Amino acid sequence: MKEVYRVEGIVNRGFVGQITYMVNLEEPFSKLDIHFVFDASKRKFSPDEATPELIADTVAVCKKNYDLDIDENRARGIILGDMKTEIHTLATLNDEFLGCIHRQMTDRHMFFDGVNGTATEGCIPRERFEGVLKVTVLAFNVIKDGTRYELTVSGE
Amino acid sequence: MFKRYELHNHTVESDANITCRELLDIMLADGVDCFAITDHNTTSGQPIIKKILAEEKPPIQCAYGMEYTTYFGHIVCPVLETYVPWDSINRKKPELLFEACKKANAITGVAHPFSYGDPFARGCRFEMEITDFTNVDYIEIVNNPEPLHEVNEPGILWWESLVLKGEKVAACAGMDLHGRDSMAMKFATYAEGKEGGDAVAELRAALAAGRTWVSKGMLVTGDIDGEVAVFHLCDVKKPGFIPSDTYTLTLRDKDSTTAYDITSGSVRVPLTEIDDIAVPKLYGGEVKLENLICVAPVIRL
Repeated sequence: MKEVYRVEGIVNRGFVGQITYMVNLEEPFSKLDIHFVFDASKRKFSPDEATPELIADTVAVCKKNYDLDIDENRARGIILGDMKTEIHTLATLNDEFLGCIHRQMTDRHMFFDGVNGTATEGCIPRERFEGVLKVTVLAFNVIKDGTRYELTVSGE
Repeated sequence: MFKRYELHNHTVESDANITCRELLDIMLADGVDCFAITDHNTTSGQPIIKKILAEEKPPIQCAYGMEYTTYFGHIVCPVLETYVPWDSINRKKPELLFEACKKANAITGVAHPFSYGDPFARGCRFEMEITDFTNVDYIEIVNNPEPLHEVNEPGILWWESLVLKGEKVAACAGMDLHGRDSMAMKFATYAEGKEGGDAVAELRAALAAGRTWVSKGMLVTGDIDGEVAVFHLCDVKKPGFIPSDTYTLTLRDKDSTTAYDITSGSVRVPLTEIDDIAVPKLYGGEVKLENLICVAPVIRL
């Protein structure tokens, strides 16, 4: 497949929001691949990263947000089990919805095969890809500074 | 007749582990009248189910929707056939998205409003500030997988506080299905309809009129007979429902809650005992949340 564009970026801890990339697909494609990957090592905390400060922060957040009294063990469990970097991708073509991958993955493809009429789960098959493609990176949660990501769009 | 709706379900098109076909089969096997496909931020499963229903014509209807899964809360739309972008979601002005969805002929609901969000799962708690409920059809007062006291109880209480203040917003339940979870003794949504009727249209009408029931399998209905309200039990034969030895009806108004024994199947309550707005609820036995069986439509006298 022909690479249309490739971008890289870094998001900081605590970033919540979206980043949209737009490109004109000037030649028509019958296949399109939107590949997004972010640093898997930044997705979860390791046991040695569950520092006393992070545990104290987690205890405080649970109390503040939910009036939930949790002990340090529970906080440690949340840090190692629940807290995660969660970034998803969504795409539109000429403002028409192409699909969204909302799954806990660090490496994903939104692949459309217009010849066979198939697409990755979460995406809507179509035959032709031409015009204004917008790919939105949806950052629900970023737990570590310096979380790198890479987005590549390819067509055929 | 009463129709059973399952309004909150996911597939492999987002983060569940069941396919669209499996979702359909699960709903058929459990005798559901109408189910919604509400994958996170995608409508891609809709054409798959439409194709199966068109080809096989099983005795079930589908509502084609999506669950807006935003950073500040989830808006479950059991009907959303035209994708409405949510890029400009504004925590302090969510009405804009609700309004845009309603213009696209959607049905809109606030999903699991008191679920735990950050640091457990960002966005699961509804942190948006709604001041105008005009375009909010319902609140998902019970999200079955969520903890009863920590998450669902405040959801029920929030809805009650809204309707007792006069807001016209209905109540629904959701399985929030992501796999093959049993639906026995879980809350579903019920609405009145006709045999062979358009279940989605009937749901719209029920939501607009605030005539939805959230129930594990026994409903409580009411009629006015002169100066008396007569409440009846109605078994809707939900698979797996375990009947109780005794039933208690409660009527909650702005100031108090009054309980009535309805084990015999019906109870007559003088209208003088009912405030202008009241929420009927049915319990199996003692009045406690664990025994809650049904939340019925609000009474407005």
